[in-house]
Parts: sequence; C-alpha cells; structure tokens
Amino acid sequence: MTAPLSGLPPSLPILGGGIALLMLSIAWRRSEARAIVIALATLFLAFASLWSPVLSWPGDPVGILFVPDGWFAYIAGLILLSSAACAIMAWREAGTPADEFYLLLLLGTLGALVMAGSVDMVIFFLGLETLSLSLLGLIAYHRIQPTADEAAIKYLILAGLSSAILLFGLALSYAESGSLRFAAPSLAGPDGPALPLAATALVLTGLFFKLSAVPFHTWLPDVMEGAPIPVASFIAVTSKIALFAALARYFAGADLLRPDAAGMELAIIAVLSMFGGNLLALGQTNLKRLLAGSSIAHVGYLLLALLSPGPFGLASAAFYLAAYAAATSGAFAAMRGASGLSDIAGWRGMFRRRPALALAMAVMLISLAGIPPAIGFFAKTYIVIAGVSARRVVLLVALVASSIIGLYYYLNVVRAMMEPVPEDHRAVRGTQANTVLITALAIVTLLAGLFPEMLVRQTRALLQPLPVLRAASLPPIAPHDILYSE
Amino acid sequence: MIALPALVLLPATGGLAAWLSDRGPEARHRPWWVAITTIVLQTLLLLSVTCAADWGHGPWLAHFSAPWIPALGIAARMDMDGLSLVLLWLTTILSFPCVILSARDVGERPGLFHLLLLATIAGIDGVFLATDLFLFFFFWELMLVPMYVLILQWGHEDRRRAAIKFFLFTQGSGLLMLVAILGLVILHQHATGIVTFDYFALADTPLMPTAAMVLMLGFFAAFAVKLPVVPLHVWLPDTHTQAPTAGSVLLAGILLKTGGYGLIRFVVLLFPDAASRFTPVALALGAAGILYGAWLSLAQDDIKRLIAYSSVSHLGFVLLGVFSGSPMGMRGAVVQMVAHGLSTGALFIIAGSLQDRLHTRDMRRMGGLWQALPHLSSVGLFFAIASLGLPGMGNFVGEFLVLLATWRISPPIAALGAAGLVLSAVYSLTMVGRAFFGPPHAGQGTDHAPPADFGARHMTVLGLTMALLLVLGTYPQPVLNLSLPATPLAMPEMEAPQP
Repeated sequence: MTAPLSGLPPSLPILGGGIALLMLSIAWRRSEARAIVIALATLFLAFASLWSPVLSWPGDPVGILFVPDGWFAYIAGLILLSSAACAIMAWREAGTPADEFYLLLLLGTLGALVMAGSVDMVIFFLGLETLSLSLLGLIAYHRIQPTADEAAIKYLILAGLSSAILLFGLALSYAESGSLRFAAPSLAGPDGPALPLAATALVLTGLFFKLSAVPFHTWLPDVMEGAPIPVASFIAVTSKIALFAALARYFAGADLLRPDAAGMELAIIAVLSMFGGNLLALGQTNLKRLLAGSSIAHVGYLLLALLSPGPFGLASAAFYLAAYAAATSGAFAAMRGASGLSDIAGWRGMFRRRPALALAMAVMLISLAGIPPAIGFFAKTYIVIAGVSARRVVLLVALVASSIIGLYYYLNVVRAMMEPVPEDHRAVRGTQANTVLITALAIVTLLAGLFPEMLVRQTRALLQPLPVLRAASLPPIAPHDILYSE
Repeated sequence: MIALPALVLLPATGGLAAWLSDRGPEARHRPWWVAITTIVLQTLLLLSVTCAADWGHGPWLAHFSAPWIPALGIAARMDMDGLSLVLLWLTTILSFPCVILSARDVGERPGLFHLLLLATIAGIDGVFLATDLFLFFFFWELMLVPMYVLILQWGHEDRRRAAIKFFLFTQGSGLLMLVAILGLVILHQHATGIVTFDYFALADTPLMPTAAMVLMLGFFAAFAVKLPVVPLHVWLPDTHTQAPTAGSVLLAGILLKTGGYGLIRFVVLLFPDAASRFTPVALALGAAGILYGAWLSLAQDDIKRLIAYSSVSHLGFVLLGVFSGSPMGMRGAVVQMVAHGLSTGALFIIAGSLQDRLHTRDMRRMGGLWQALPHLSSVGLFFAIASLGLPGMGNFVGEFLVLLATWRISPPIAALGAAGLVLSAVYSLTMVGRAFFGPPHAGQGTDHAPPADFGARHMTVLGLTMALLLVLGTYPQPVLNLSLPATPLAMPEMEAPQP
C-alpha cells in the first residue's frame, strides 16, 4: 500500500476546530456577529491552508482515505468560497437564534470537503451524510413557515431514499471487488458484468438523486423554493460542486468513451438534464424555481464535460464549476439584496428602481446563459471544445438546442427588469455585506470572462502531478492514476 | 498597428461617455453631442488607418496581434484587407444617419440609447476585423446584446416578441457556428498538434471532404440567419418592423452585412472545396430568396415590413454573387452590400420619419403626401428607385455584376434573379405610389396640423447618401478594386503565431 499518498488535508481539521470553537462560543453567549466572524474566519483559514503541505504520517494504518490532489484543492477552494458567500448572504437573514445556522453551514461544508477528497466508500458516505443532515437542518431553519417544513420533509424522504440506494450500490460494489475504494468497479470481473453493472447503476442513481439530474430532480424546485435564500444557494452551488467532484472521482479510471452501460447511462442522463432542466425553468414565475431548473441544466452541461475525457474534459468541467458557482451565488446574492424577492413579476422595473442591483443580476443571468463578455460564455465554449474534441455529437446537439431554450428564460428576467416600474412595487433592501458580495461576484464574473487566462492555467494544472507529491520524492503520477495504484 | 483595436474601443468608450454624460436636468442633448463627437473621431481614425495602411505589399493592409488566452491558443488578432476596409467605411458612414437623424429625438434615457447604439457599432467593427476565430465569435455574440436591448426598450408595439425572436435565431445559429469553429480547431490539433484559433493557421488545415462540408454548414447556418437566406429569414421582418428607426438602420444597413462578410471570409475562403460543392444549393437558395422576398414585399401594407422583405430579396443577390465562384461575382456581392446598406438604411429613415409624423406605418392610411411633404417624398422616391436598381446607382452595378457572374455558371438561376428585379420594380413603385401619390387619405391632415417636412439636417445627410450612391453607381472602380477579399494564404510577411 502506498502509504505516503494518503494524508489529511489540513483544511479538514481546521474546519473541525472552527466548528468546535463555534459550539463553545454558542454555549458561552449567543451572538450572531461572533458566529459569522468565527464561521468566515474558519472558512478563509481553511481556504488558505489549501496551499500548505498535506499532513501525512508514515505507515498509515488505515489505508488511503483521502487523496488531497490538485482536483481536491481546486474543488475545496470553490466549496469554501461558495460557503463563505452563503454565510454572507445569511447575515441578518438567518432568523433567531441565528448562531446555529452558521454552525450547520460549517458542518455542511465539512461534509462537502470530505466527499470531494475521499477515495474510500465509508469516508465518502460519512461526508455525504454529514452534508445531507446539516442541509436538512438548514432547509427547515425558518421552521415557523409552512413552506420550510414541507421542503424539509420532502428533502428528508428523498435524501434518505437516495442514501439507501447509494449504500446498497456501495455494498454490491464491495461484494464484487472486495475493496472499499470509491471507484466504478471493473466490468471484467470473474463473475461477469452483471454485479458490477448493478452496483454502478445503483451508486449512480443515488448520486444523481443528490445531484438532482433528470429524472431524479423533482424534489429540487420545491426544496429550493421553500428554503431560505442562503440555503438555496448552498444546495445549488456548494453541494452540487461536491457531488460533481465525487462523481468525477468515481469515474476517474473508467473509460467513458467506450459505449458501455455506464457511459450510456451518463450520456442519457446528461441529455435529459439539459432539456429537462431548461424546460422546467421555462415556465417558472418564481426566480428560485427558475434557478433550480437552470442548475439542473448546468449539471447536464457538466456531465458533457465529464463524458469528454482528453486534454480538455476535466479541465473544462473545473472551469465551468467556477463560472457556475460565481454566477449562481451571485444571482442568489442579488435576490437577497432585493429583500429576498423571488417572484419574477416583483423584479419588474428593477433597472430603474435599483440600477446597480439590476445590473449585477443581469450580469449573472447573462453569464448563466453563456453570453459574452461574462465568464459563462467562455466556460460554455470550453465545454464545447471538450465535447468536440471527444466527438460527442449527440450531446453537443443537445447542448446547443437546450441552450437556446435557456436563453429565453434568462432573458425573460432581464426583460422584466427593464420594464417600467409597476405601480404597486415595494422598496427592497439588503445588507451592506451582501452588497459587497454582489459587487465582488459581478466583477469576478465580468473580469474572468474577459481575461480567463489565469483560470484556464489553473484548471489545466489539475492534469499535472501535484508539487506536494513530487516533494515527497515520488515518481510523477497523473492524479487520477493515484486512485488505482494499489 | 494599434489603430485596429482602437477602431473597436473608440465607439465603446464613446458610448460609455455618452451614458455618463446623461446626468442632470439640462442633459437632454448632451449624449447626442458626445455620440456625434465619437463618430467624427471614428471617421478621422478610420481615415488615418486608410492612409497609413500598407498599400502595395499584398492584399492585407494592416495587422494587430496581442496574446489573450495563450493557454488555448487564443490571441487578440485583427487583420484588415480591402473587404474589411470597405465594410468599415460603410459602418462609419451609416452611423451618421443613425445618430444625426434618428437618435436625437429619443425621448427616454438618451444616454443608454447612445451607449447601446455605439456598442453595437463597436461589435460590428470587431466582427469585420477579427482574424482569430474565438475573437470573431466573441464580437459576433457581443453585438447582439445591445441590439436586443435597443429593440426591447425603444421598439414599437410588438417589440417583446420581435426582440426575443431576433436573439434566439441569431444566438442559436451562432452556437452552431461555435461548434463548427471548435471542430475546425480540434481537427487542426489532430493534424498538427497545435491548438490555435488563428484564421491563417486554420486555413491550412487538411480536411476530409465530409468534415469540411459539415463544418462549412455550421458556419453557413450562422451567416445564413444573419444575411438572411430564405428558410432562415423569419426573424427579420418582425425585428426590422419593431425596432426603433436607428435600430432598423443599423440592422438593415450593417448587421445583415456581417452575414455576407462571414460568407466570404469564412465559408468560401476557409472551405473552398466544400463551398464549391455547395454552390448549386446556395444558388437555388439565393434565387428563392430573391423571388420569395420580392413576392412578399408586394403583399405588404406595413411600409417597414415591405422594406424588410425587400432586403431579403436584395441580399439574395449577395448569396448568388458570393457563391458564383468568380471574382466578378464576389465584387458584385460587395458592391451590392454597400449599395443596399446605403439605400435601405435611408429608406428605413424615411419610413421612421413617416411613422413619427403620421403615427402609422400602414400604407393604406397614407397617400398624397407629395403635397404635404415634398422633400421627404422626393427623397423617398429617389431611394426607392435606387433600391429597384436603376442604372446609375450602386445597386445596379452590384446586381448587374452578380447576374453576369451567375449567368456564366447557371443561366436559369440568372434568369430567375432577373425576374426578381422586375418584381422589385413593381413593389418599389407601388410603395412610392401608395405613400406619396394618389389622393390624400381621408382622416389625414384634417384633424391634425400638417406634418413637418424634412429640414436642412435630414436633407444634408440624406443628400450626401444619395451622392455616395450615385458615385458608387457611376464610378464603382475603387470599391471594386478593394472588394476582392484577400485569401488567408496571402500572408507571407507575418511571423507564425505563438502556439
């Protein structure tokens, strides 16, 4: 067993420490200000620690649990930043008492990080459940509202069901291979392909439930509509990033270009998600439900990148995740800045009522629609490069056709904002911290769209061996071969 | 030459300045003045570019290159040849009527209006200059957004539907082109191992006939929507009719020409073999467009809709010329684009003025305007006649050259195209007859004060446009000399782009 490869990324103990500190602080005296400061400090400390060397100890008795490679560092960075955005959105919105909101947020982030970095089924499942359970608490945080209860119950039932399916798949996988490695089992086993196929299908079903890919998506719009805005953003951004990262790890060694069952299933789900998500968003009058549909469609685009291995595949997925995270968080932050206004009709005339806010919202929507100069344009181009490079013709056609549907509903919101101010509008306001967040995200979305070079280099570096590993005088290994080097 | 990106940045900056100047109570006409200053500066800049160009050293006149996203072989590369220069001049010239005649009277938020107008112009200039395919696509998409907002905010009664139709058609076909661009890039990478979006490098890509055909069709789809070619034209009548006057002028005058430019620069020059195999289909589509557009023009009551359909008809000649495969046809297509830009732009200004004065675009409610509006009516008569292709005007030169070139490869198509000319005479003269001659319409001029005729401002600008059309019709040689596009292979003196 190649023990030095294992090790604990320091961001995990930092998050754990932050959670403990926050609990102590709550036990001593409640204060939302202190809670958010501790939460943000923990997140930024964990973010900074991504550049530090990995904690490892020789002769690891447990085996490989985490692979803190470049993919993990990148994904963890996105997860931590988007969680920080959620925390800022939650300021003065979380409800009373507010402190536990940040506690649950940190806990969910910890679960997401564990999921993104683990290569062991048990660890992965622990991370997933940590995330799911804290999300349940977050969704129902405004428990006086009936919608919150409804959303939480829906989430609870479907999350439990999908966890059970996932767990069954993992168990089958263990029965087949005798290993707890979190990876798609090889179909060329001694007992024929039936068992590994069933295992893969069940694991995928579980993951797709959580990732809300079509046809396992029906819970997402209801849950997001019922959840508070920061939580909706957490579901749409942070948890999806973590799940997608885990999905990519699961298939890291599989040849997805071979038209076998797993590749076919992924391709079908991708096409269904692109169309299903965009069509779902098409008729919505509620911005949260619209963004839910949009996030389902973006999962479809990301699956196209995943299905296009080669020099661009994973790099384009990584770039797209960053673009998606910035724009979707930004859109939720803009909603938060408008007193949580989620009815599209309520956004009418926003360009005249609150020009800066409307402009920021328009930038986010344009980015999600993939129109220049926002970052979403380059991100979509990058994914199409990957798809063309892998000759995914059907998927590309689906992407083009469903993107056109997408344009319609994103622009519909922009159009509503340009309309004259309605008579019965009410004043909207947000917090100063949220304004800073929106501004920062809008600037990132525009600047990274005009000058994507830095981020492109960053994502391309993911395909190189990690410097940390080289420092430990190891032969250079591509990050995804690591998972298979017994 | 640093002046090439300046041609794009200047209108964009001017637009921002116009937007910022729209503050305070007495700012009513300030954005307008800023916009005028911008386009005057733009003219001077273009003049200096023209003078400083590298005449006599091959067909490419000016170059600019800077790294943008080197990790993916994307550069901010612009090159100018005679074709770009002609179309840049057309853009600059047409921006004058847009700004001087129709943008001044925008009542609501003039700053934003001028910003969007100038941003569209900046995007169009970028399209005409970019020789990096990613940069080209960036500008191609970028010019749509301001136009969409222009139609949405300042358009007429059915603007929402028109704006979204415009956007979905052009953006959707643009995505097809994106896939084709990337397909070309990837094939180039497979052949040479280098990822680049450089036009000149990609022109060398060895392509299998099928691959070339598929990629060419991807490009063709985007440009065919823009030009427009007949089955893909459905966005155009609505959009032109609903757009504000300045928007219609920009759309018909220049935006449609980006389709013709793309056909020449990318479809024919990047995929010469595939394009020549596609010729029969393209010629048939061109002839169909000429006849179909003319036929529908005959049936319109809405004057802007009539002009819009006539554009479909006239730009069919561009398709014929581009695919005729001869230098003569190509030159004819360019002259036709320039002449159509000038004459149709002017016709849209006249239609817009009529709408401002009579509050209708319906020709059933016009008639006998010659007595009330002699200046406007005579100008309208002139441009209607120019647009039907009377000898002595630019349109005649273009159509004549195109038909001559088409006759050599396919006499039946040329005959059909000529039949379209007959129809065009019929609908142009019908339009003039219904709007300007005949008995005055009943309810008109009795309960309102008589509408104001064109003043000095309109007469000067439109008079200069007339003069240009006459010059183009009587002495087209300078444009003909310039308009043959430079092939991508005629680029000896430039160093190879960084991989």
